[in-house]
Amino acid sequence: MPVVQTRQLTRTYNPDTIPVHAVRQADLCIEEGEFTSIVGPSGSGKTTLLNLIGGLDRPTSGSVHINGTDITGMSDSKLIDFRLWHIGFVFQHYNLIPVFSARENVAFIMLLQNRDKDEIARRTDELLDEVGLEKRKDTRPAQLSGGEQQRVAVARALACEPKIILADEPTANLDTTAAMNLLDIMTRMNREKKVTFLFSTHDQRVIDRARRVVRMLDGAIVEDSCHEG
Amino acid sequence: MLTLLTLSWRNIWRHPGRSGALLAAIIAGLWAGCLTVGAMNGMLKQRLDYLINNEITHVQIHHPQFSRDPYPRHAISGGDQIKSWLEQDQRVGNFSFRTLTDGMLQSAIKTSGVRIRGIDPPSETRTTRFHEHLIAGDYLEAQVRNPLIMGQSLAQSHNLDIGHRIVLVFETLDSELTAAAFNLVGIFSSASEHYDNANVFVRADDLKGLLGGEAIVHEIAMMLHDADQAATVAADLNAEFTGIIAQPWHELSPELQTLVDYGQVMLLIITIVIMLALAFGIINTMLMAIFERLHEIGMLISVGMSRVRVLAMILLESLILTLVGALTGMILAAVTVTWLKERGINLELFASGLAEIGYDTIIYPFLQPGEFVLIVFVVIVVTLLASTYPAIKAIRIDPLEATKGK
Repeated sequence: MPVVQTRQLTRTYNPDTIPVHAVRQADLCIEEGEFTSIVGPSGSGKTTLLNLIGGLDRPTSGSVHINGTDITGMSDSKLIDFRLWHIGFVFQHYNLIPVFSARENVAFIMLLQNRDKDEIARRTDELLDEVGLEKRKDTRPAQLSGGEQQRVAVARALACEPKIILADEPTANLDTTAAMNLLDIMTRMNREKKVTFLFSTHDQRVIDRARRVVRMLDGAIVEDSCHEG
Repeated sequence: MLTLLTLSWRNIWRHPGRSGALLAAIIAGLWAGCLTVGAMNGMLKQRLDYLINNEITHVQIHHPQFSRDPYPRHAISGGDQIKSWLEQDQRVGNFSFRTLTDGMLQSAIKTSGVRIRGIDPPSETRTTRFHEHLIAGDYLEAQVRNPLIMGQSLAQSHNLDIGHRIVLVFETLDSELTAAAFNLVGIFSSASEHYDNANVFVRADDLKGLLGGEAIVHEIAMMLHDADQAATVAADLNAEFTGIIAQPWHELSPELQTLVDYGQVMLLIITIVIMLALAFGIINTMLMAIFERLHEIGMLISVGMSRVRVLAMILLESLILTLVGALTGMILAAVTVTWLKERGINLELFASGLAEIGYDTIIYPFLQPGEFVLIVFVVIVVTLLASTYPAIKAIRIDPLEATKGK
């Protein structure tokens, strides 16, 4: 069963006035364990497609299935709950909770899931160790570098044990070293733990690591190619 | 819940200056509000106690027509039976029989209209505390013929002093005018200058003789062991005796009840003003906090925090901030009011104005425990109501905000 399946997915802004076709009839199938980049120039619809797959935006037509569940018609509250349990997000601007430490940011998702406290503590430590932040666990985001913040964001995204992690331009604000470091971590997670990653990016460093590249232009998928990342 | 509490608490202190300013406003507002309410309570209670203890007592008995037409002929009949009833009733503490009439006071320089109060000094001293206002001379105990005491302001306006003589002119039981000379033996100064100008005290026996009747009584004033029994005792007296009317203090002096009601209205107005300021402060602070955190709240909703939890987070932030401020403000107010309850607030600066309306120049503020509880309750309700609008704004935030540039 594919982790992500979109069918004729379309998102049109201002349909009644001057329509802007952000995504046009996109058909996309992502299998478990894939490491996929959605690429294309600015305004090509990468982020919109990612938002539709993540249930942050609603399609004008078409459907999105995550792990076999159609999320297109879900109510807002069910969709929020679905995201909590099935989808991890990594944002371009990290979007950590500034008043929480790295540890608390990662634990927060599991607390929302009402998991056992001991399990939360153990898993938080494991995740932060895996992203190389074992010595920065109690540091707040403002005291972390951009690369470190994004690694916390990855650990947070992994915390809910999602079916897929959606990452919107995750390296856009990072220098080369931090970006390569982050990509190493994500590649390792994908390879060792079979975590499925779907990026939107125009960063060649990310594209080079991806095993599958989906190219978009003017809202439509124009190319879908696989190669060794 | 603990996580939400932690998150809310830390969010509050994200901008210490802004939260501190709101906290300071809440503390200052509640402190000032409690102090004002306490001072008002003190003023009203002192005025109420003063009037009851010095003038009107808990219950008074009159001839049914006396209050409308205070002629000497409208005297109470059956005084002896009433006296024995009062002596036997366990609820009654002390009582005093008074003979009253209105008349003119003539001195060498002018004439003034006064109420002439004929009293029995020993029983009056047991019943009221008016004798404590005597500032010169004695309380009608002088061994002179027709002794009289009057207010300081009245004495000054007539240029009178102890030992001087004046003439009182009034109507007898037969509706004839009579005049008699009285000797000024004492001067009092009560809290009310108006009262001091309008009343003189003489011995009841002297007045009775001049009015033309030996057993003439116009007013029986009594103090009870429990002030709350006033209405019941008055009702029992009215049921027991005919030809009289017994009235509790709030019927005798409706203005006193008005004063109490007025105090409650003022309390309400002060509370509303403070709560409105509090509400606008909360709305302003929380709206600013939310608009600054659009991305963050969008992110929280994106990663799976339900909108109910977002609502709870915003309400908790407001509630914690307000409760910290309110409790601090009220502890400060309680300490201040307790301190001032012993020492009083000296309003000597406004002494003449306060005397005109019958208030003491030293106010002893106090707050009832119930008022503290009420204020905390109202603060919580107002906070929750005021933070509802910002909280609704917060839960309507689109999770897509999380993906937008900062």
